[in-house]
Order: sequence, then C-alpha cells, then structure tokens
Amino acid sequence: MSSQLLWYTTRGAGAVSLVLLSAVAVLGLLARLRFESRGWPRFLSAAVHGDLALMTVVFLVLHIVTAVVDPFTHLGLAALVPFGSYYRTLWLGLGAIAFELLLAIVATSLLRRYIGARVWRAIHWLAYVSWPVAVLHGIGTGTDRTALWMVAIDVVCVAAVAVALIWRVLVAPPDPLADERRLAAERASFGTGR
Amino acid sequence: MSIALLAGPPGGQGMESLSPHQQRLGALPAVPPALIDSIERSNLRGKGGAGFPVAIKWRSVASQPGGAPVVLANGGEGEPLSRKDRMLMEQRPHLVIDGAMLAAGAVGADEIVLYVGADHVGAIQAMHRAMTERTASERARLRLVSAPVRYVSGEETAAVHFINDGIALPTSIPPRPFERGIDGRPTLIQNVETLAHVALIARFGDDWYRSLGTGNASGTTLVTVGGAVPQTVLIEIPQGMALADAVNAAGGITSDSDAVLLGGYFGGWVESSTAWGLPLDADALRQLGYSLGCGVVAVLPAGRCGVVETARILAYLAHESARQCGPCTFGLRAISAAAGRVAALTPTPGDLEHIQRWAGVLAGRGACRHPDGAAGLVASALRVFAAEFQLHEHDRRCSVASLAVAAS
Repeated sequence: MSSQLLWYTTRGAGAVSLVLLSAVAVLGLLARLRFESRGWPRFLSAAVHGDLALMTVVFLVLHIVTAVVDPFTHLGLAALVPFGSYYRTLWLGLGAIAFELLLAIVATSLLRRYIGARVWRAIHWLAYVSWPVAVLHGIGTGTDRTALWMVAIDVVCVAAVAVALIWRVLVAPPDPLADERRLAAERASFGTGR
Repeated sequence: MSIALLAGPPGGQGMESLSPHQQRLGALPAVPPALIDSIERSNLRGKGGAGFPVAIKWRSVASQPGGAPVVLANGGEGEPLSRKDRMLMEQRPHLVIDGAMLAAGAVGADEIVLYVGADHVGAIQAMHRAMTERTASERARLRLVSAPVRYVSGEETAAVHFINDGIALPTSIPPRPFERGIDGRPTLIQNVETLAHVALIARFGDDWYRSLGTGNASGTTLVTVGGAVPQTVLIEIPQGMALADAVNAAGGITSDSDAVLLGGYFGGWVESSTAWGLPLDADALRQLGYSLGCGVVAVLPAGRCGVVETARILAYLAHESARQCGPCTFGLRAISAAAGRVAALTPTPGDLEHIQRWAGVLAGRGACRHPDGAAGLVASALRVFAAEFQLHEHDRRCSVASLAVAAS
C-alpha cells in the first residue's frame, strides 16, 4: 500500500510540476513583454512568476523524492545524475537535467542582488532548455503518459508556452528607456551635455 | 572664516587661477607612495552624502581587474539645499583637479571625468578655465561633462549610465561602478569636495589634517547653512564644531526656530533644542543616529510649518523619482499625496497612518537609495513634528502658518 501511495504521489506531483513550470514560463515571457492590462499590473507577472517557480521546485522535490525512495522502482540516488539511472536512462536523464537547470535558474534568481544582472540573465536563458527537456521527460516516460487526461495536459501546456513564445518573438518588448534614449540622441546631435 | 579648502583669497573674487594656487600651496606633488595609508589615517570620508571611507574605496578600485580605472569627480550636486560643490568648483577648481590627479595616480587611472551639474554655470566655466591653464599632457587626461539637471543625476550608477549611454538614470547593482563603470572599466567616483581635501592631505600630511578638527574629529568640512539665517552661505568649519557655532558663523538665526533639517533632503529633521549642541562631524553624527549628508544645515524659520515643508520636499522627491522601480514610482507618489493632503488641512481618513506605514516599507526597495532617503526624511518628520501632524489631521489646524502661506 505504501509503495502504491509513493508511486501515485510521484505521478501526481510530476503532472502538477508540468502545469506549474509551464505557467512559470508563460509568466516569464509576459514579464519580459512588460504585459499589462486592467486588473493585471505589470509587477504581477514577475511576482507570480517567481512565486510559482519556488512552488514548482517544491513539487519537483516531492516528485523526485517519492520516486527515489519507492522500494519498487529501486531508482536510488543514481537517478539524480543525468543518464545515471539504469531504468529508462534517456527519459530519466532528461528529467534530471531539467530539474538541475531549474535549480540553477532559481538559485541565481534568489541571489540576483549579489551576482549582478549579467550573470543572472545568462543563466536564465537556460529556461529555454529546462522547460522543453522537462516536457520531453513527461512525454517519454511515466505510467500516465498515454492517458487521455495527461495528453490533454501536455497539449495545453505546450500550446500555452508556444503562444507566449511566438508573441515574444513577434512583438518587441517596449523599451522603458525609449524617451531617455531619444533625449540622449538629441543631446549628442547638438553636441551638448556629453 | 576660511581655513583649509577655502583659505586664500575670499569667496566672491571668482576662481583662484593656477599660478596663485601654486604660489600659495606649492606645485601638485608627485603621488606619495603611501597616499592611501595617509588618507586612511586622516579618516577622510566621502563628502557626497553617504560618508563612505575614502581609503577603502581607493584600495578596492586599485585592486580591481578589468583594465585601467577611470576617476569621476562628482560635482553633480543635485541636492537643492546644497551649494558647497558648485561654490568650491567656482572658487578653487585647481584644488579639485589636483585631488582628481592624485586619485588617478593612486589607483592607476589614466582618464579623469569632471562631472558638473549643467545648471552650475559658474562652476562649469571655472572648471573649464582651470583645465585650459593646465599643461597639455594633464589636459589630455581630463574630460568635462555637464550633468543633466535632475536630482538623481549625481547618483553613482546614474553618472556612469549618463557618460556611457547619455541616460542619467540609476542602474541596478551589481556591478557597482568600482567593478565596472565608465566604458566597462573600474571607476572611482568621488565627490569634488572629497578630492579637494585629498589635494591638501597629499601636500601637508595627515597629522596636519587631523589637527584641523575639533576634539577627536579630523579635518574640515564644507557646510551650506540656509533657512533662518541672513542668507544661504557656504562655510568651512573644523569637523566637530557645534551646529549652533556653525549657524552663528553664518550670521546667526534671524528668527526663533523649532527644528533644523540636517543633511539635506535625504537627511532628517532634528528638534532645535537637540540640534544646537550636535557636533558637525560625520562619524559622531552617525553614532548619534543622525547624518551630516552633504553638509546641509537648514534652519526652519518661525512661521513656517514643518509638516508643510516636509510635504513640499516629498512632492519634490516624488517628482524626481527616476520612475524605474515600482515602490519608488508609486510608493513615493502615494506618500507625497497623503502628506500634501495633511499639510493642506484636507486629510482623508487614515492618511497619517498610511504615511507612517508606507514609509516603513519603502527602504531597500529600489535600484538606488532614492526611496530610502525619502523614508528617512518621513520618519524624522513624524518624530519631530508629531504634535503638528496630529493637529493637521485631527483638528484640521496648523499652529504656525495660515493656509495662504502654506500653499505659497
């Protein structure tokens, strides 16, 4: 019974993590686009993005710990090493990679005040690796991977991120310093102030 | 009363040219090998407002990787109540340039930027003329840049941002300018008064410099005295001089006064009964919980209401926010609006409580210290003018000023 409970928890936490991580990705793209509307001030995208990312880590820890300690799977700590697992080496390896990239992204975000924007941004680009690798991990392995509800979750998550990503590529984010840059160019062309 | 920086010909005679400057003080000495140690013993602190120890800053810049450093002499002086930097540059530009040259030598910099507020026309003219009096090789290392007229222009990262990209707005840290500043190089940013002090320490030594101060305090400091005095004046005082003596040196008070604004808009209000006895020494004031800031002493005249003056300053600071960070853009605006209503005797319920609560959560929430400074000012005003704030909010009465005066 307890091993059943552990396995159910692994599967549930995995599905929840996918939904959360996709929401984090969409909110991150919205924050970059400086999206705002009535009832959705700009700071909300960034704030919820960060909070949900922390919650994602919690669910992923649950997902991983329950899988590792499950006596039936015999995964062991080797599953935390990318491609170190004897069981479904490729698919679990992708999961390990996605999780560890996410940890790096979250840790550098928490330490952004100390490490500077440049390093933070460089690491944050890894989100474009972490999320798709995580999706592949979910599609490639798991008891529920062919269940209709799981496929539906996959489709919705991929669609949501894809739409946000296309929007991000097509629409240039507004430049908050646009006015200042114009002033600077005017000053430079008059040969004053510089 | 001129003693060190302002010794020599009295103010009002324009700038001191290079030859009288050199005759009076001797030529600019070669950079002494132990200049930074000497500055450390002199206990010189930055005079721009934050009071950071100068020797520590210079050592950090000198030991940074990332190419030859740059020195930025900061004469932006955006503080509305301060006159010291512009008047120092107008009267003693060569002292500032000497100090910048010494700083460049000590940290290994090959370029010096003289950053002067665009509205300080006299200072720009004097600095420009002083540059032309220098040798060609010295001139080649100097660049004069006029800073946009804006309160945050003098903030360190804003100055670097302006020189690099023409945008005088603060940027997030890290990197701090001493790590990566002008053209990506380590940048030593030092207030012009601080550099002028260095020019004297290098010539006459730290023992001499220490002896200029009162008691344990070291050296001298420039102070702008304004408000209830005959006129706003710049004076140079031995550090540690009592505030009352500085006010007397500025001509004495012209009316009774309940409070003094010490340190400028980012400083704080102090009850006069306490203020008169305070020693004007950056270290001592810090230990007492006050700040000398950029050396502003503004005496609140009788007939002026502290609540109204505080609201006026907050309106200015809210307007001068760079509008980059939410808490500063919206928080400062909200606090300023509430303070304005209380000052105008038209408070809405909860205004005073809101001011108190919002000011408490403002500090540390911006890329720069703009919101922190405003929060400190609000906290001091709520303490010093507590009764007056209550009178304004609950009785809709002002004890000192009629509304006509308050609104002017």
